[in-house]
Amino acid sequence: MVKYLSEEWRAEVEKKLTEQLTPDKMNGITSSMNNRYLNCPGGGVKFFYVGFTDGRVSSVQTGDGDGPAAEFTILGDYEVFAKISRAELGSQKALMNGSLKLKGNMVKALKLASLCDRLNKIIATVDTEF
Amino acid sequence: MTFGKDSPYYIDFPGRIKAVQAAMAEKNIDVYLGSRLRTMSWTTDAFLPWRSFIVIPADGLPTVFTFVIDAARAADDSWLDEDHVMGFAPMGGQDQISQISDMINELLPRGGRVGVEAGMSNYLPEGYLTYYEYNAFKDAMPGCELVNAHEIIDKLQMIKEPGLINRFRKASCIVDIGHEAVLSEIKNGGWKGMTETEIAGIASHAMRKAGSVWEWSFTGGNEIACGYRTGLAGGACTPATNKKVEAGEPLMVDIHALFGLACGDHSHNYLIAPATERQLWHAKNFVDIVDLTLKTYRAGVTPSSLAEEMMAFAEERGFADFMVPGFEHGIGMLGDEWRIGRHDGPFPYWTDPDHVYQENEVLICAIQYACPDEDIGFRYENPILINKNDCEYMSKYPLAVEVIE
Repeated sequence: MVKYLSEEWRAEVEKKLTEQLTPDKMNGITSSMNNRYLNCPGGGVKFFYVGFTDGRVSSVQTGDGDGPAAEFTILGDYEVFAKISRAELGSQKALMNGSLKLKGNMVKALKLASLCDRLNKIIATVDTEF
Repeated sequence: MTFGKDSPYYIDFPGRIKAVQAAMAEKNIDVYLGSRLRTMSWTTDAFLPWRSFIVIPADGLPTVFTFVIDAARAADDSWLDEDHVMGFAPMGGQDQISQISDMINELLPRGGRVGVEAGMSNYLPEGYLTYYEYNAFKDAMPGCELVNAHEIIDKLQMIKEPGLINRFRKASCIVDIGHEAVLSEIKNGGWKGMTETEIAGIASHAMRKAGSVWEWSFTGGNEIACGYRTGLAGGACTPATNKKVEAGEPLMVDIHALFGLACGDHSHNYLIAPATERQLWHAKNFVDIVDLTLKTYRAGVTPSSLAEEMMAFAEERGFADFMVPGFEHGIGMLGDEWRIGRHDGPFPYWTDPDHVYQENEVLICAIQYACPDEDIGFRYENPILINKNDCEYMSKYPLAVEVIE
């Protein structure tokens, strides 16, 4: 079991995403997403960043602070993201009830909604301690 | 899909935005937040039927915000790319107030003056900022001062460019095709058993085949009336019904085409035989006053001076009781179809009766003749281009009230 948002968790996520999210499954997209975790345990802000180039996972990062600029930034409380990562809450539901906020072009985001679900389902398989 | 520079219908939209930005600078406005349908059409070249906004910065390209389900289509129709047509939705950070205020707050990190469109209209889909929207934007942009600035767009919209004038000509040509189709179907007894809605559909079909994208009128698309419905007092609005055309009745065919967001609008009138002498008298009155009105329109005329002159003519001929004392309505790109002039008349947001027409204004010459006691009335509408010494009638359909056997 790895601690959520730790370096070990990041490495495990990167391994699973790289293995399971083939360019074909990711529709060959080039894009990036930065989840910004507010109200983290112990205070402060953390981030989880994923970048894709031509459908391949090109960057997976975690850390303290706002994180790198991305095509889409999603802001929300740590606990909301944790629920999504535990597959207890769908990301689209969290957006629709306002517990997550998306910044970026909504029209482009619509095209990526199902890809984001695929990504979250894989992350949920990482044995994680929250 | 917009028209290229080689097209007779080309409009320099980036040039329009630069003109808005120059006017903003003169009025010390840092960002213009447009919300009216007329503003959206005039700045984007796209039909935006959902609640939409445009953010025009002090320089650079504007960004449109519309309902997410229609944003990709709107971007495809407009001259702007997909990064400048954003979709909003009821999701965290993606509602219209959040998206727009985020953008303006980023454009104006130290605050500034934001021009908005506030006012009232006799025309329901006008699109002025609502009370809720105004307060929500004010709360979301605490560093900004919201000031009413629609006058910037209204002033720039008044004089039409060659590309837009050509779009009006094309829309009017399409309307004439619609009238030819209607006449072809109703003549020689073809009208028997026909309803107003059926006539509206005949015109629509012909106009669509000729390139119209919509019977744009918010007053019911193609407005067809027969019998007593033509003579309803002040009745300048007749959405088609299932009433059947009958012998001995007047028939009013007021049809609309849309081409490149320019509105074609022409009304033609018939008498279904047998026509009485009295009906023919009414018809001659109507044709004569329309003819005189068209010959009177030119630069320098005002709505009130024209109305006085025409009503004097009607009084002299003994039919003033049947006239609606107004001879025009405004027209522009979709959403601009009501008042004439700006907002400096005696009744705010209504036509300024003392507006002095200038060359290259386009308006609808609109005349309503109604005699409710005799169940008869006629309507004339035709987009006209104001010239220095006369006007161009954009619909070329011959002026007459024809008796249909």
